[in-house]
Amino acid sequence: MSASLEKGVRVLKEVIDAPIASYFNSCVHCGLCAEACLFYTETGDPKYTPIHKLEPLRRLYEQEYTLVGRLAKLVGLSKPVTDDELEEWKELVYNSCTLCGRCSVVCPVGNDIVYMVRKFREGMSASGHAPEGIIGAVNRTVTIGSPMGVKLPAVKAQMKHVEEDYGLPIPLDAEGAEYMVMLSSMEIINFPEYLAAIAKIMHQAGKTWTLCSTAFEATNAGMQIGNSDLARVLVTRIVDGAEKLKVKTVISPECGHAYTALRWEGANLIGRPFTFKVQHIIEVLGEFQEQGLLKTEGFETDRLTFHDPCQLARRGGVIKQQRNLMNMVAKNFVEMPDAGFMNWCCGGGGGASAIEEGEELRLEAFKKKKSQLDTVKPDRLVTACANCRIVLEEGLEHYQMDIPVVGLTEMIAEHIPDQTTEKGA
Amino acid sequence: MAISNDKEFKTALAGLSTSQQRQVAASFVQRVFALSGDIRIKAALDAAARADVSDAELTVLSGAANTARVESFTQCGKETDWSAQAGHFVAKAAVACVKAAEAGSNLAWDAAMHARMARTCQTVADGAGTENVEAGEQYRLLEAFLNS
Amino acid sequence: MNDMQFLTWVRGAGLDIAVSIFLLGVLWRLIEIYSLGRKKDLAAPRQVSGASGWHTIFRRSVPPEGMMKKSPVSYIGGYTFHIGLAIVVFLFAPHILLIKNLTGLSWPGLPSQFIDLAAVVTMAAMVIVLADRINKPVKRYLSTFGDWFTWTLTFLPVLTGWMAVQHLLLPYTTMLALHILSVELLLVFLPFTKLFHAFTVFGSRWYNGTVNGHKGVAV
Repeated sequence: MSASLEKGVRVLKEVIDAPIASYFNSCVHCGLCAEACLFYTETGDPKYTPIHKLEPLRRLYEQEYTLVGRLAKLVGLSKPVTDDELEEWKELVYNSCTLCGRCSVVCPVGNDIVYMVRKFREGMSASGHAPEGIIGAVNRTVTIGSPMGVKLPAVKAQMKHVEEDYGLPIPLDAEGAEYMVMLSSMEIINFPEYLAAIAKIMHQAGKTWTLCSTAFEATNAGMQIGNSDLARVLVTRIVDGAEKLKVKTVISPECGHAYTALRWEGANLIGRPFTFKVQHIIEVLGEFQEQGLLKTEGFETDRLTFHDPCQLARRGGVIKQQRNLMNMVAKNFVEMPDAGFMNWCCGGGGGASAIEEGEELRLEAFKKKKSQLDTVKPDRLVTACANCRIVLEEGLEHYQMDIPVVGLTEMIAEHIPDQTTEKGA
Repeated sequence: MAISNDKEFKTALAGLSTSQQRQVAASFVQRVFALSGDIRIKAALDAAARADVSDAELTVLSGAANTARVESFTQCGKETDWSAQAGHFVAKAAVACVKAAEAGSNLAWDAAMHARMARTCQTVADGAGTENVEAGEQYRLLEAFLNS
Repeated sequence: MNDMQFLTWVRGAGLDIAVSIFLLGVLWRLIEIYSLGRKKDLAAPRQVSGASGWHTIFRRSVPPEGMMKKSPVSYIGGYTFHIGLAIVVFLFAPHILLIKNLTGLSWPGLPSQFIDLAAVVTMAAMVIVLADRINKPVKRYLSTFGDWFTWTLTFLPVLTGWMAVQHLLLPYTTMLALHILSVELLLVFLPFTKLFHAFTVFGSRWYNGTVNGHKGVAV
């Protein structure tokens, strides 16, 4: 995978389409996108203005696709994009952008800035200017199959742990199952309770489900770094697995970007529509709730609030379900300011949390989340994304805020009456 | 009494007082402590093992253990170091030993589960597959505790 | 060239040249931008009423939740001068007459005192917006020659037109000629500067709304 400026520029020229051209020509430098971006609002540094993160792409667009720009280039009046410039832009495009999409919803002229950042990353990656942390994830995905180096034995270990300790069977490669459950590396590694929760819920709902030994990994590092070829490989693996097992629906786990990659970019990456449905686990739970397949007892009584993962709510269109689910098991659920569609990012998505040198910036940006929590003062914080959970915990720890963070799927499962068979005898 | 499966294990644990749960939980976590070595966790386990530990002490120690837990998460996208991840679950288990008790919670069971996960991470790291006998060892520890 | 010759030229040849460049320029730029096309979205759509490109074209004119208080000058100043410009350009009797001569279309105008007030308010809003661009760190950081140039291109027609009607500074003939010249400059540069957002804003909002509408998110 050799990278070069030439390659990067070629890739950028290919990704520029009518929407991007329209957006660059519509920008009036009003700066409102900055007011929507937590990296600007919490640092006050104008270089984090979202549209500014795209400056090299804008110049390239002008030089290649506009008459005036091409003429200027001909007479030597334009500034070419260089390796140094792209290296300088690395921080802007990766460390200070989580692809949260708030900028895209506030721009008065309608610019979809996050779309452009996503495309710009393709060029950054092809020219060798992606951050160390994400390049590592990409390499591991190519060689090992998982960005975090999680192989099947590790998944099987977790399955065993859940089967033995929670007494719930975990199907593997069950052909004809209705649901194929994906996991993100984060869950396999950090939150084994998630798999147990899934098993419990599926058992109660009476639905058939399975893990897939060749496609258990949902995390798509290709999408984060901006490498469509790699993103395609990861999606293809999932598609092959789902079609081989003839499942009806593939469930994307509590991970934001995995959902975006599979549900919204997947079909476009492989060039054909899927033959199966893709749903986020929260969507599935929402459906079960509506159909009366989710029966819970008891309520949490402490003061709870919900953090909407950006890729699930604003970028994914799943906004109401989590609220209905919260109200099913919580008596004291209160919304934080700007909750739902306009929620503020945890600050760690889009690969940002894998970038060590960006940690200081992330913690500063976390002040926005802190201010939301200071206003609503919850006893605990509930969310539905494994990465958000960790980023939130780290931020809360840093600011000495004693607010435990809980996963929504696990919380729901805790309220399902125990009907597990006896194990371990 | 002899404990031969998790149902019996869980029920026996639930029947203990909070202080007793902390003590036996500490013994579960001590078995896997070598996978971490973090002094904050050691301090938490030593305190939880004492029948006379005060609430104030527990609050301080649970804060420190929690920090150890949060610090040892594997970040999304980073290479998984299963040995290090074992340490994360040891921290999680230690937190269960010293956190404030809530009505109806079985903190010793939580600690036992996390300790087992720590062991599983270690066997994955060693490439030794997923077989381990942690559960059985935990039953022995509980039996010994109940008999004393 | 004396005043009358100048006026005759801007009204005649000048206007022809400017309008031609404007029309050809707009056409060319629209083709240059939108002929790039975009790939079809193969992901299964989520149908949610109210979430579409057309909805966004209108809805995006309303500040999203929490944004107004972040920059009231941007929104209020922006609305004021855009609406003010529209009023002055399209509801002033002499302008309507010009359009009638060029296209045959006409409609009733507003009383001249009202237009006078609209012009003054427009200019005031534009000055405030300019001051904001200079004062606010983000706007200042983003601003390039194009921003100052286009502000001037937009401000001068309003100023010179208002001065002509008020008979200020220069003889009416000269002022009027300058006004028409300033409008011609605006027309000539509009397609090739950020002022082209007047046309692309519809496409941009539509694309944004369509992509998000596909996911069932109303933006």
